[in-house]
Amino acid sequence: MSAKANLDVLNRQVAYSGEGISVKSLETEIHQERTVQDGKVDELKGLRARNVEIQGAMADELKKLRRFSDYLNGAATKGGFLAGLKEVLSYIPGLKGLALSQRSIEELLKAQYHLSARRVKEAAEYVDTLKQSEQDLYKEIDRINVKIVEMAKNERAALGYVLELKAVQEQLKADEQAAEAGSVEQRDIQANADKVYAKLAEHSTNVLLYGSAEERYARLKDNTRKLAETIRNLANDIQQYTTASSIKLDMASAQIQAIGRAADAAEVMLEMKRSLDVMTESMNVTTQFVSDTQMFFRSNLDTFIKDLETFDETTTGLLEENLKKSRDIEEARIKAAIDKAMARQASAPASV
Amino acid sequence: MSIVALHTQALVLPEAEGYLDLLGRALQAARLNSAFPDRRQLQSSVDTLREGLRLGVYGELYVDARAGLPNLASFTRVCTDHELAAASLARMGARGELEARKDEAEVFARMAAKHTYLERLQSLEVAPVDHHRVLLRRHDPASGTAAFRIELTKLDASGVYLRLVIELTQVSSLWRRKVVDLEADGETAAASEGFRAMVYRCADLDAETLFVRLHGVEGVQVERVARGVIGPALFSLPVGGTGGAGGVAVRRTMEAPDDALGRAWHAWSLGVGAAETERPELLVAFATDCAAGDIRDEKSNDPVSPLLAERLGAQEGGRYRALRERYPFKVFKDRKFVATPGLKAVVQGVCAGAGTRNIVYDLRPG
Repeated sequence: MSAKANLDVLNRQVAYSGEGISVKSLETEIHQERTVQDGKVDELKGLRARNVEIQGAMADELKKLRRFSDYLNGAATKGGFLAGLKEVLSYIPGLKGLALSQRSIEELLKAQYHLSARRVKEAAEYVDTLKQSEQDLYKEIDRINVKIVEMAKNERAALGYVLELKAVQEQLKADEQAAEAGSVEQRDIQANADKVYAKLAEHSTNVLLYGSAEERYARLKDNTRKLAETIRNLANDIQQYTTASSIKLDMASAQIQAIGRAADAAEVMLEMKRSLDVMTESMNVTTQFVSDTQMFFRSNLDTFIKDLETFDETTTGLLEENLKKSRDIEEARIKAAIDKAMARQASAPASV
Repeated sequence: MSIVALHTQALVLPEAEGYLDLLGRALQAARLNSAFPDRRQLQSSVDTLREGLRLGVYGELYVDARAGLPNLASFTRVCTDHELAAASLARMGARGELEARKDEAEVFARMAAKHTYLERLQSLEVAPVDHHRVLLRRHDPASGTAAFRIELTKLDASGVYLRLVIELTQVSSLWRRKVVDLEADGETAAASEGFRAMVYRCADLDAETLFVRLHGVEGVQVERVARGVIGPALFSLPVGGTGGAGGVAVRRTMEAPDDALGRAWHAWSLGVGAAETERPELLVAFATDCAAGDIRDEKSNDPVSPLLAERLGAQEGGRYRALRERYPFKVFKDRKFVATPGLKAVVQGVCAGAGTRNIVYDLRPG
């Protein structure tokens, strides 16, 4: 045994927090965190599909209202009065082919109002779903932050240990040179040098793994925050639009009720048109919004997913590369770790 | 000013809850029979509106300023929520999970409240804005006649909620122009679109006028026309603070009808009694109006709606009498009230003035 080198360091357990790290465990943990993100992206995809569905339905409602409005405005009666109104009535479910006088316009307006109110309510349902998703993602960010701090602390512990091992390694080298060649003492020193080397290899890997993990968790957090902000903005926009639409519809309902009694008389056609215009405006606002959000989803969500996929490939590639590294490369890694540790020590001498 | 749109008042908490509480109890106190719209459905809608406000799902209640009842927007709000409830609840997940996260963010508390609201609502049967039904009463293939009962429940354009029942018999030889289609199974029936629309448009006419109108339809013998009307509801709700005359500031029915009841209520609401009261006050009218061949004595016991013959001038009266001789039926009108203590004297005064004897049920403020 060497008289000079302090070999206690070989028997000391380094206090890493968490459950230890390996390429596989790191991959598993990152994968778990990513699963949460993927889940939210899937939710957004689902919302996009429903968004398209509602947009189609709202476009139909809008078309009916516009035709109604055009009819009342005298702009859609090329085929004559009866043809014009028949066409308009044909847009109302269950009324296709009915004669002009066979339904009360008051009743039709109330039915159309009911449909419009329902559509706006369906669109508004998005808001709570999105806000819930946003909160889930912020909770996820909190969890990732804990991981980032943990990885940073572990990297620091690994770096400190590597420095200690390096000092022992250098001492053993000096001891070996001083010992008689082929002596028991020299063989003992060489055996300890091999143990130190093995420890250096192990903890240099930890330096890189914890450093890589910290970096990757930080990038994951950025993506998660980006997703949460996207969802929050979308929810706020939807809330604004649907609230405005809902208020306008409520006002339209009052007009429908007020003119209802006389809705079938020619004198009130103008009043009815005003009522329809309010409804049309409301539907217009919401439909334009749904259209906008669809474009938003199309342009941003796809890009976002693509970004995530690129991130995945990069990190996976990095890990695969690590796995394939040979003993020769390991040497270089040890050296890099030691350099880093020494540089850290030089910049912050008080820390270990 | 509480008018927010044409004939529309907005009520907010706490007076909105006080109003809905009184209205719900007035519906119970009125002992409504089958002549009126389904009381339980209407009660469910009123309770749902109240629950929606209490839980913060909605921030205001829209009331028809003429009839004093929840308006089309309010009725439709309950109906559409009811239609979407199952799908919304499925999306929301378990209420327990939402409640467990209440402190995490405002959205979870709001969603938990909405979950409670929708869960209760989905099991209820709510009041429809419009509902048509045709029932077959008798079918006699031998004589080729079928008797039908047509029912229409409607939130009328005037803001009142009514039920119209028409009983008629149709002769099969004239079914080329039939107003009701009897299905092949001989058990179910549906009104033709034209007839349905006519009934819908004429629902606000009194039973007497409607009876005469329907008798003119070829191939149809009308036996009974009956209407049950809920409303108007005249309210005065303290909102805190002081009014112009030093009394308590109140929200009141803004556009009460211009009839004896409306005028009496208006005088009361602007008088000393109303200004000084700190209690919410409500008066609701429940009118029945029936024209049928089997009514013994023709009479109107409705203080605000005399018989048609009494409203016509000499010339029109003569023509109307001739018309009535062709259609032998009699008319009976009645109206009962539910009133809080402060308004009971107003109702009694109107009834005394019209010479009618009407039931006035007491409604105690909660």
